[in-house]
Amino acid sequence: MKKVSVDPITRLEGHGKIEIFVDDDNKVQNVYFQIPELRGFERFCVGRPVEELARITPRICGVCPEAHHMAATKAIDAVFGVEAPPAARKLRELLYNTFYVTDHATHFYILAGPDFIMGPEADPAVRNILGVIHKVGLETAGALIKARAEAAELISMIGGKQIHPVCGLPGGVSKAITPEERDRMVEITAGLVEFAKFTLKLFDDVVLANDAYVDLIKSDAFTHQTYYMGMVDENNRVNFYDGTIRVVGPDGAELVKFEGRDYLQHLAEHVEPYSYLVYPYLKAVGWKGFVDGKDSGVYRASPLSRLNAADGMATPAAQEEYERFFSTLGGKPVHATLATHWARLVELLYAAERAHELATDPEIVDPNVRTIPEGIVGEGVGVVEAPRGTLYHHYKTDDKGITTAVNLIVGTTNNNAAISMSLKKAAEGVLTGGPEISEGTLNMIEMAFRAYDPCFGCATHTLPGDMPLEVTVRRRSTGEVVTSARRNM
Amino acid sequence: MTRTLVLGMGNPILSDDRVGLLVAERVRAVAPPHVDVEQSEVAGLRLLELLRGYDKVVILDALKSPAGAGRSPGDIVRYEASEFRGGHRYGSAHSIGLATALELGRRLGYHMPAEVVVLAVEAEDVETFGEELSPAVAAAAERLVAMVLEEVGGA
Repeated sequence: MKKVSVDPITRLEGHGKIEIFVDDDNKVQNVYFQIPELRGFERFCVGRPVEELARITPRICGVCPEAHHMAATKAIDAVFGVEAPPAARKLRELLYNTFYVTDHATHFYILAGPDFIMGPEADPAVRNILGVIHKVGLETAGALIKARAEAAELISMIGGKQIHPVCGLPGGVSKAITPEERDRMVEITAGLVEFAKFTLKLFDDVVLANDAYVDLIKSDAFTHQTYYMGMVDENNRVNFYDGTIRVVGPDGAELVKFEGRDYLQHLAEHVEPYSYLVYPYLKAVGWKGFVDGKDSGVYRASPLSRLNAADGMATPAAQEEYERFFSTLGGKPVHATLATHWARLVELLYAAERAHELATDPEIVDPNVRTIPEGIVGEGVGVVEAPRGTLYHHYKTDDKGITTAVNLIVGTTNNNAAISMSLKKAAEGVLTGGPEISEGTLNMIEMAFRAYDPCFGCATHTLPGDMPLEVTVRRRSTGEVVTSARRNM
Repeated sequence: MTRTLVLGMGNPILSDDRVGLLVAERVRAVAPPHVDVEQSEVAGLRLLELLRGYDKVVILDALKSPAGAGRSPGDIVRYEASEFRGGHRYGSAHSIGLATALELGRRLGYHMPAEVVVLAVEAEDVETFGEELSPAVAAAAERLVAMVLEEVGGA
């Protein structure tokens, strides 16, 4: 057996490594990815007042601190058995949707955009944001920077800080907003809606107008029939901040709908000896291995999953886009992994519209933003939809609110099995004989990976900054290197 | 007057990874008036936004060199931005490289620093949650404060 190593994966948070095993005929035998393990998180949390977890968990990684802050705050509400007043819930949701705009937009322009706008096989020297702006115009980068700056301004008005919000407290938020702040938020969110529409138009012009890309998105190499998970409101529409968890099957039919606090009744974890990262699956279906289909408990939790798991979007322009998404791609559910990029932009528009809706809601300036806890339950689960999938925080405490146990299922972990399957299938699709493995071929395998926007919150540093992508093909019998390639990002 | 920024980076709860943040905090207490001090736990486009408007920037961070690089925990390494092409913190999922951030800022017509220096401490452990530095890195943090002040002309 030969071994092809893709190490490390460029543009992935932290340091990851893709291993591809091929036989003597270059037929793909198995694919998995490895990431470094961060140790001692639970030990770090145990013994601390549970309300501190809303400030500690966002520091697991710098990519989506707001998602951890929100899941933690909701879990802490539950630990103290307290509900936030309506204005506090709305402020949390407003902050959270505004964060979604920056996160989804950044993913599109920095991570996904280069593959589509420059082309998957373009020279990596131009397959980046600088190449993108050279091709589509400098004003695009200006629009992104402006949207990010204004979103950051809104987040710091509610959250107290731009990056790691500190507003979430048991039973509400730390402060109300003034009418003047509200006026600025209305202005900012109106701009974000325009920015989201501008981004979708760019996707239309660059990706959907190009038949080759649409064929690539729909191609079998990037398709998996799995279950889909996503949070929905009472009308089964996508919601990022609150709701119930709905799971639909590969045929689109609802398998189960459950409250976040009951997650352990519905999810179980499979373990493989080569990875410390577990593979969650649906208990009701069972673990059947890394396989597609109705009998396999593998599920996905991603922008694509959320659109599949819901019946629609709760805002008008996003709903229109939702309908166009499914009609263009052949109806529900859509199984094409690369369609996740379009789904992410449908969500970008929803997040901007929802933020604008909340900013213009008269109740948003209500000064009553806190219900002071009077007792303690001692256990709580908080769930939000993080950009990369459903995020579960589960805490237990003693009767004084001191943390005794912590369990998290993070967005990317949900997709662990599906990512492995996607890598294998993409590798099978593009590694079609011959010892030469081109740069473009490797990038096509990575594209299957990037669609999930995986994030492992790892802080391993590699300096002086070369992020080499190394591919080594070895002959199994002798261990001899048949060919190797190396590139820098 | 040269506008200078000292920027500490890292994760405050990942053992040695907090060294850049910690040293920035110490520099803040003794820095000359023309020097701003900031801390950031994230990079990417945020880096562009932070660096904008300065003439000179000194970035403080931890690093983990590949095995065989011949470095020991506590070693301090100095780089200039021109030597950078990517890197973990400077080139990840939600990041763009430091060099890319600078270039993007310039193309957008922003005033970006002409001089960017990275002072990085070789870490022993950046994979265990904790607030303690390993002894070699703690000793390096002391030396690094003096190096930063020398770098910004405030020694």
